[in-house]
Amino acid sequence: MPSSLSTLKACVPRASIAKALCAAFALLFVLAYPAAAQLSFKPTAEAVQEDKLLNALKEGDKISGRITIPDAMASSLIQPAGRDWRDFHRSKLPIIGGVAIIGMFALLAIFLMLRGRIRVDHGFSGTTILRFASFERFTHWLTASCFIVLALSGLNISFGRILILPLFGAEAFATMSTYAKLAHDYLAFPFMLGLVVMFLIWIKDNIPGKVDLQWLKQGGGILPNGKHPPAKRFNAGQKGIFWIVIIGGALMSLSGWFLLFPYLPANVTALQFWTVIHAVIAMLFIAAMLAHIYIGTIGMEGAFDAMGTGQVDLNWAKEHHALWVEEEQAKGHAPSGTTPRAMPAE
Amino acid sequence: MKVFLAALLFAAIAAVGMSILLNTIQQPSSVAFTTSGARVGDPGNNLVGPG
Repeated sequence: MPSSLSTLKACVPRASIAKALCAAFALLFVLAYPAAAQLSFKPTAEAVQEDKLLNALKEGDKISGRITIPDAMASSLIQPAGRDWRDFHRSKLPIIGGVAIIGMFALLAIFLMLRGRIRVDHGFSGTTILRFASFERFTHWLTASCFIVLALSGLNISFGRILILPLFGAEAFATMSTYAKLAHDYLAFPFMLGLVVMFLIWIKDNIPGKVDLQWLKQGGGILPNGKHPPAKRFNAGQKGIFWIVIIGGALMSLSGWFLLFPYLPANVTALQFWTVIHAVIAMLFIAAMLAHIYIGTIGMEGAFDAMGTGQVDLNWAKEHHALWVEEEQAKGHAPSGTTPRAMPAE
Repeated sequence: MKVFLAALLFAAIAAVGMSILLNTIQQPSSVAFTTSGARVGDPGNNLVGPG
């Protein structure tokens, strides 16, 4: 082993020399740069600042990582567009919703004060005509009842923290919100079914025509007293509501489908886009339905019977849907030649 | 009134039916979006709540 020992002996002095050289260089460095000697690098101060990083990222940029779990969306680490989305939900959406819903309540209240309840000008005749068959009313109430729960539980998401949480406390609000969320998720399916059936059974009566232009030109008989423009089964206002329900409902269903199954949009940006669509359409949809509920109940005398019992007074039908009454009479589905006789309105 | 009540009943049955169907054909997210190495015990309760 002599050669090994000699090698070892030879190595030791070399290592010592190397150490001495390193120390000398370090001393030189410290003398030359005294700040470095104090280890002035501060990771928290000099690392990339989050706000600077987010500001540096442009629209659509994001920082993604690599993941092994089967959830592709979890790989998004930083996405600046998410701040805009959060800001929209926290500040802009409540304003849009508040203006739309409270504004509609205000408009309806003003309209009721100015116009009053729309009465049957000739009074009730005492003779009725079938306006909606059982299946049509079933479809209407199926969709409507689901819509009401969906609307209230949806509004709870936007306004519950502000309006309900302070009233009932965190525990009650959390429990209520949990059940509201479950109801929202699962009642969405019968709502969508109702929309499809509604579209199929009423599309033929809701194609816009020339008679609708005349109806609109004359203000639908709502503004001037005693003048009722002729209308078929649905007047232009009702056709408007129909298409709001169908188009709005379709957008709500499509966007809601992506929220029910959030792995479908494939990325966070698309999911945020659909939540915005869902929320904005929902607010406008609710406002529109408030007008529909108003005119179908307190706004117009005799209107609720159409969806209540399915039978409406013949005078009411003649005043609001004269062309439809003529068609029904021609088919023998309605009494003809009845002389309207005035009856007490209530 | 009967039609209205029938619609409410149908909506409730359809909602419950869909919840049962979806819970049957879908895996919970704690299983579907994790690998066995990353799964947590008692999902839904161990990461939230007073625990």
